[in-house]
Amino acid sequence: MADIDRPDYVNSAQWAAVTESGTRLLIVAGPGTGKTHTLTHRLLYRLRRAGPQNKFCAITFTQKAAEEIKTRIARSNEAEPILPRLITGTFHAVCLNILKDAGPLSGLPEGFQCADPAQALEAGRALWPGDTDKQLRERLEAISRWKATVFSEPVPDDVVFYNDFLRGRGLLDFDDLLCETVYFLRAHPAVLSGLQAEIPEIFVDEYQDINPVQHALLKLWVGERGGITAIGDPNQAIYGFRGSDKRFFQSFPDDFPGARRVTLCDNYRSGQTILAASGQVMARDSDGAVPVLTAQLYREGKVTVFEAATDKAEAEYVVHQIEKLVGGMSMFSQDSGRVDTETGGERSFGDIAVLYRLKTQARLLKQAFDRLGIPYHVVGEKKDEEDGAESVCPCRYEEFSVTAERVSLMTLHAAKGLEFPVVFIVGCEDNLLPLNLVGLQAETREERRLFYVGMTRARERLYLLRARKRLLFGQTLHPQASPFLKDFEAGLAEYEQAVLKTKKRSLQDDQMSLF
Amino acid sequence: MPFYADLHIHSHYSRATSKELNLEHLYVWAQRKGIQVVSTGDFVHPGWAKELTDKLVPAEEGFYALRRDLARPMLSHVPAACQGEVRFMLSTEISNIYKRMDKVRKVHNVVFAPNVSVAGKIQKQLDAIGNIRSDGRPILGLDSRDLLEIVLESDPASFLVPAHIWTPWFSALGSKGGFDRMEDCFADLSKHIFAVETGLSSDPPMNWRLSQLDPYVMVSSSDAHSPAKLGRESTIFQSDFSYPGIYKALQDPSHDGLAGTVEFFPEEGKYHFDGHRQCQTRMHPRETIKNQGLCPVCGKPVTVGVMARVEELADHPEGRRSPNARDFVSLIPLPEVIAEARSLGVNTKAVQAAYLDMLSKLGNEMAILRDIPVSDIQKVSGTLIAEGVRRVREGAVQIAAGYDGEYGTVHIFSDDERDTLDHQMTLFR
Repeated sequence: MADIDRPDYVNSAQWAAVTESGTRLLIVAGPGTGKTHTLTHRLLYRLRRAGPQNKFCAITFTQKAAEEIKTRIARSNEAEPILPRLITGTFHAVCLNILKDAGPLSGLPEGFQCADPAQALEAGRALWPGDTDKQLRERLEAISRWKATVFSEPVPDDVVFYNDFLRGRGLLDFDDLLCETVYFLRAHPAVLSGLQAEIPEIFVDEYQDINPVQHALLKLWVGERGGITAIGDPNQAIYGFRGSDKRFFQSFPDDFPGARRVTLCDNYRSGQTILAASGQVMARDSDGAVPVLTAQLYREGKVTVFEAATDKAEAEYVVHQIEKLVGGMSMFSQDSGRVDTETGGERSFGDIAVLYRLKTQARLLKQAFDRLGIPYHVVGEKKDEEDGAESVCPCRYEEFSVTAERVSLMTLHAAKGLEFPVVFIVGCEDNLLPLNLVGLQAETREERRLFYVGMTRARERLYLLRARKRLLFGQTLHPQASPFLKDFEAGLAEYEQAVLKTKKRSLQDDQMSLF
Repeated sequence: MPFYADLHIHSHYSRATSKELNLEHLYVWAQRKGIQVVSTGDFVHPGWAKELTDKLVPAEEGFYALRRDLARPMLSHVPAACQGEVRFMLSTEISNIYKRMDKVRKVHNVVFAPNVSVAGKIQKQLDAIGNIRSDGRPILGLDSRDLLEIVLESDPASFLVPAHIWTPWFSALGSKGGFDRMEDCFADLSKHIFAVETGLSSDPPMNWRLSQLDPYVMVSSSDAHSPAKLGRESTIFQSDFSYPGIYKALQDPSHDGLAGTVEFFPEEGKYHFDGHRQCQTRMHPRETIKNQGLCPVCGKPVTVGVMARVEELADHPEGRRSPNARDFVSLIPLPEVIAEARSLGVNTKAVQAAYLDMLSKLGNEMAILRDIPVSDIQKVSGTLIAEGVRRVREGAVQIAAGYDGEYGTVHIFSDDERDTLDHQMTLFR
């Protein structure tokens, strides 16, 4: 395809990916490189060239991502003939459809329903009444993990009991949707080849996050001759603890012989400083190549490293910076000169996110936000009345929606896929990033990727904060700085330290002694 | 019977407010000031909402009165000459900080509800989208237009008045966080705005210079952060004494229920002129232009005040009167008049004592400033204060204009005059 057809909103690497004539393609799309944009355009491009009887399926990890793809396709001027031939959905939704279409052939209870987490917990309570809450949670996690990663003979007793209990009530849990689909397609080659004929090409988003059962499904579906376009970024693989395996990203050419690979390197999100710092952090210890990203939109970008005396002071710094960024929030802060009048005015609350490693870190932040009356919401924390909301299609990521602007507080994991002009990462300490606390450890390389994900959420301003003293789970800790903070050149960041107030105090002491 | 209403105040749950901003003290101060209807302020705050439901009882439609058992003991703090009924109506200020058309907007709006249940509805809506628990005047990342939608949907009699529309930092037309046109702020719902609050730093004639404000009536309120500031600006009604009476008077410009407003001299407001508070540079807009908007002390851009902003947006010269114009009167708070006459600080005990003495012998502050003959005032307070009141009524006062958050300073007498008049006073005695 001649480059002359390339619209100017698709860059040359993206265009190479869009127009790749082979049906097996792996697109490496780092943060801000136009992942959804490229995926959508390739989908359109392939749909246009495919026979009118062929359907395509785009599989995502969230309902929101599936809808985003559909919306973008719907906006194109050829949407009408194309849309009916496009199936979009999460892995779970796609599998649910396959199983429902199979009817009695699936061998599953007729008209089965999906068990929500509460029902799954209820099943566990009934089956193992002697378990403590913690024991039960661990048991259910083990069952979930087995279904996501092993799903083959021999089946552990716990899984057998648990599945029998659910089936007896006409239920499948979310993990069942995946592995039952794999079992079903393996057992029914005719159904599989029908599916392959109907949907010869599939598109998979966030490929670095797939787990073994999803991988098995894709291998089965694509088979010897099918097409697959996978897009993702192995440096943003942060769900290893849930069974995701980024090795599938590396093994793509072996899994799907003849596959081509395209890497996107133009970044449309962050300032160059932020890209440079995050790229250096990643390159320091990665088991794969780290593409060097080039900023296309903002020339600058600012990284600030701040060391606070305590975790409270860290939270205080965050809210004070936000007040400055918003340019003062009250007449009082304005009139009292608490806020520099010249700095502000460009940011609003929706522009700002505060990211942390552990949910428990939100507590002090919330207190500080409440004290200043800054509107915020904690992503993933639901108010009582929202709990009863109908459970939409299962998805692994947190849903994200607000009607008024608020500062977003969330874990680094929940920030995946989002971007903000201003990002604070708190707790950049050697026991939180990488996570290394008693009873809470994580793989250092995955922690590094998590930190990379956090850094690359920022468009213009990135604050990396740490406290010299922190209260965590009832213990006072004196952590060192996160080793990741030393993995980028010092020249890329501004370093700030808390101003000590001892001078003021000693002055007061002097005055006191006069009396 | 005309009555005075103060439609925008705060409770002790708002930031930087007096601990005494509770219903009992508002009840006392409203009578001292001569205000008959006081807005509750802050009704969205759960703590204040509870105090309101606990301590108020329904009176006239949409009006509430302090429970008798709570009111009675407070009457000992109200001179008999000032005692009268006080009614509360439900309102709250919201600080809307949000992005519109790529610019951060900071607009304060006052929301009115016709009864407790409607106020509860609005409270619930706002609770779902923001933090209403940490400040009596909540900061919400909500577009003013969307707030208006919530208000309009809550009840047909709920309404919204953009607050102190000229304040540079936080207002619909403010130089820093506002819009150039009121319609840009409220977009498709603009027609549901029918009144705007002038704020301390502007008076009606300044507002009349803008054709775009012709559709709106002007209201004035104290925005009090302590009970003693109650009624320093207020709105005068001659409507039915009820919430619907006030609503109708504001909403229908042909209705004569709105008599006018009590104003500050706009120079006394905190943002009349331009300047830098920290550098103590007070600048007339003409000087600002001459200095290219920069502070002569620090060289940074000055905070542009209300006078300059009005000039920027006005499409009529000074002296134009809007078709919807109402009467207004400019006053200086009585304690400031006393302080000026006595050459004392306004918060000194002597001034406070003189103030209460005048209230007990003459009547409430509004009556003293507006209605009571100067000769009667002279008998109680002497020539100097009486002359001060007379000068306020005639507008014969000098004010060094406020700027960048600093109130203007009032001068009614020169030192020479003070001596001369004092001397006369001794002679008359």
